[in-house]
Amino acid sequence: MRHLLLTGLTAGLVLTGGAAMAIDPEGEAFQKSFLAGDLSWEEVQARAREEGQVNLYYWGGNDNLNVWMDSVVAPAMAGEGITLNAVRITGTKDAVDLVLAEKNAGKMAGAGSVDAIWLNGENFSTLKRQDALFGAFARKLPNAEFIEWDESDPRSLLNLRDFGVPTEGKEMPWSGEQYVCAVNADQVSEADRPWTFEALRTYLEGNPGKFIYTKPPDYEGNTFVQSVVYAFNPDGNGAEPFQQSLDELGAEELARLIEPGMKFLKNLQPLLLGGESGRPRYPEDAASLNGLFLNGEVNFNCKFGLYAVAVGLSTGTYPEAAEQMIFPEGGMIKNKNYLAVPSNTPNPAAAMVFVNYMTSPEAQTSKLQFAGMPAGIDGWKLSDEQAAALAEASPGTVGVTQKELDANVTPDTNATLVDVIEATWLEYIERDSQAPIADIVTRAAGNLSK
Amino acid sequence: MARRSTESLASRLSPFQKFYLIIVAGFVLGPFIPLIIQSLAFRWAWPDMLPGTWWLEQRGKSMMPLAWDYVLSPYSRIWEATLNTVGIGLAVTVICLAISLPAARVLARERFRGKSAFEFFLSMPLIVPEAAIGIALLMMFIRLDLAGSYFGIIIAHLIPTIPYMVRMLTAVYQGLGRDFEEQAIILGASRWQVLRLVTLPMLLPGVVAGALFTFLVSTNIFLLTFFLGQGKIITLPTLLFSKIAGGTLDASAAGITLIVTLPGIILLIISERFIKEEAFGKGFGN
Repeated sequence: MRHLLLTGLTAGLVLTGGAAMAIDPEGEAFQKSFLAGDLSWEEVQARAREEGQVNLYYWGGNDNLNVWMDSVVAPAMAGEGITLNAVRITGTKDAVDLVLAEKNAGKMAGAGSVDAIWLNGENFSTLKRQDALFGAFARKLPNAEFIEWDESDPRSLLNLRDFGVPTEGKEMPWSGEQYVCAVNADQVSEADRPWTFEALRTYLEGNPGKFIYTKPPDYEGNTFVQSVVYAFNPDGNGAEPFQQSLDELGAEELARLIEPGMKFLKNLQPLLLGGESGRPRYPEDAASLNGLFLNGEVNFNCKFGLYAVAVGLSTGTYPEAAEQMIFPEGGMIKNKNYLAVPSNTPNPAAAMVFVNYMTSPEAQTSKLQFAGMPAGIDGWKLSDEQAAALAEASPGTVGVTQKELDANVTPDTNATLVDVIEATWLEYIERDSQAPIADIVTRAAGNLSK
Repeated sequence: MARRSTESLASRLSPFQKFYLIIVAGFVLGPFIPLIIQSLAFRWAWPDMLPGTWWLEQRGKSMMPLAWDYVLSPYSRIWEATLNTVGIGLAVTVICLAISLPAARVLARERFRGKSAFEFFLSMPLIVPEAAIGIALLMMFIRLDLAGSYFGIIIAHLIPTIPYMVRMLTAVYQGLGRDFEEQAIILGASRWQVLRLVTLPMLLPGVVAGALFTFLVSTNIFLLTFFLGQGKIITLPTLLFSKIAGGTLDASAAGITLIVTLPGIILLIISERFIKEEAFGKGFGN
């Protein structure tokens, strides 16, 4: 339906084309001087109070996050003289579509309706490609000091690259996440727990149907496929080649790299939930997979969620014996999600003050405590006191230690490759194409570059 | 009187008819039972017939509001959505009536060129898919600064409601005939008196039925509200969609679902009583 919306909007624009451009000159002037670094933070705050409002668009499917937003963030913003208008959306793409539709309708600097969006990956990449972002604001915010920007430190990669796309300060890190699988310890003995994908297959041969992953194009499903592809990389260098963009890597090379992983996934199908009847029952998103896991239909639940088990236990959405596990060893994808400001933000100064607050240690700590969302700021940049408060707020890991989780991380895949891998999965696995993978990948890459 | 006739009806039912009634009632009421249980559950997993842990057991232990605590708190935004739904529904109904009454009068009583074509175009909005209307309107409304405003949503809701209302009122006008009004005029009534004392009372059953129907349609429109509200204006259908779009029904989603059904049920009760006894009972005065 969303694709339909976008196509319709584009068609409508072609038909109605050539609308009058709307620009708010004051907003544009602020954007220029802020990005040039000509404004003091006090001046920004003063203008933010004049604007008086900030419109945040965020995925509203998490009750705990909603409570935090309304009971912590809104009062904090009110303290800055800004009314927080937190718009809950069902898919981040809706907000991206809205920004692009407004931009295409001639609503330029200062004349849009969205001030900040919670996003990452493809959605950021889309806005960046369409030149619909405010600019390199992130490092100009006072709380940028809590984030590692130094390229010589490899840990900065999470802040500088979002699914392989350079962030260039056009979005601010807000939360960190790691792809972690949970296991139902009542059903799977310690000895049976898989550490690798081959071991998972062995387990499933003895217990068919007890595993499933979220279906691409959902990002949780895409991430699972990526970690499989990493593990079966024929060159044995895991995520490394997948940091390049499609243009740099080339479709042929990509096909060679992902072929073993795709074959593994295809051969795994009969062992997945519902696979015996010929058609695995892939859940559409993380919430549906939670349901299958809670009801014991599957014994594992893989998704982004460093603290998902602790939170799931406290909200009753996970079975009581749920534990985290290290899987696949050395290949747990870690990334961050961000707050971006669109180019036509109607309240640019308030947006800056808002994003700055969201990356403060206080906000990060209470977010972790309320919603179990890991910090987006970097622990080693904090004072001892701030770091201790953050550690105190953590719902904690279950069954594994933070150290073990940290020791097995790997980066995510370049956003341009994500689309192609997703299209290949849909063609090769969902539609069960018999064509060689190289052909499928080339076709998918061709379609996407159009 | 009414009660006695129901009793005698019940005793006259054959066992098969009673069984049939129970089945129908089961289909109508059945879905509500798991919904009510789910709304009170903390953890309810297969194969348990009832939740393993209830919300009330967990209520004190959790720092976050659970289940009904969340649904009834301002965080769920259910009151905002209810107010929006009812407010928009009322505005749509009033405007829709104001537009449809004169239109129906003309359509029922006058003959003019292109009348049948006009009637056909009137039902076009019912044939064109809602998504198509929504996208086209969104394009226009963004330019006109109406997107994400109450006014914009009310206009959008008029599109699928006016055709129904006009058709309903046209039928009522046709049934009414001019004779009563002419008779009143012959007997010396002024135009205003005719309208107030003759036309309106006779139209009332149709107007009430049309208004209730319009209100019900408006409170259930999802797609147009979703497109044009841009997430800024939430109504009960959009709130419910965002809550259950994930495909799972947790306790708070079940609670919200139950509340979303309330306006419809209340309206149904009102319309049952009003239309049956007041309107159709006395209205036509046969």
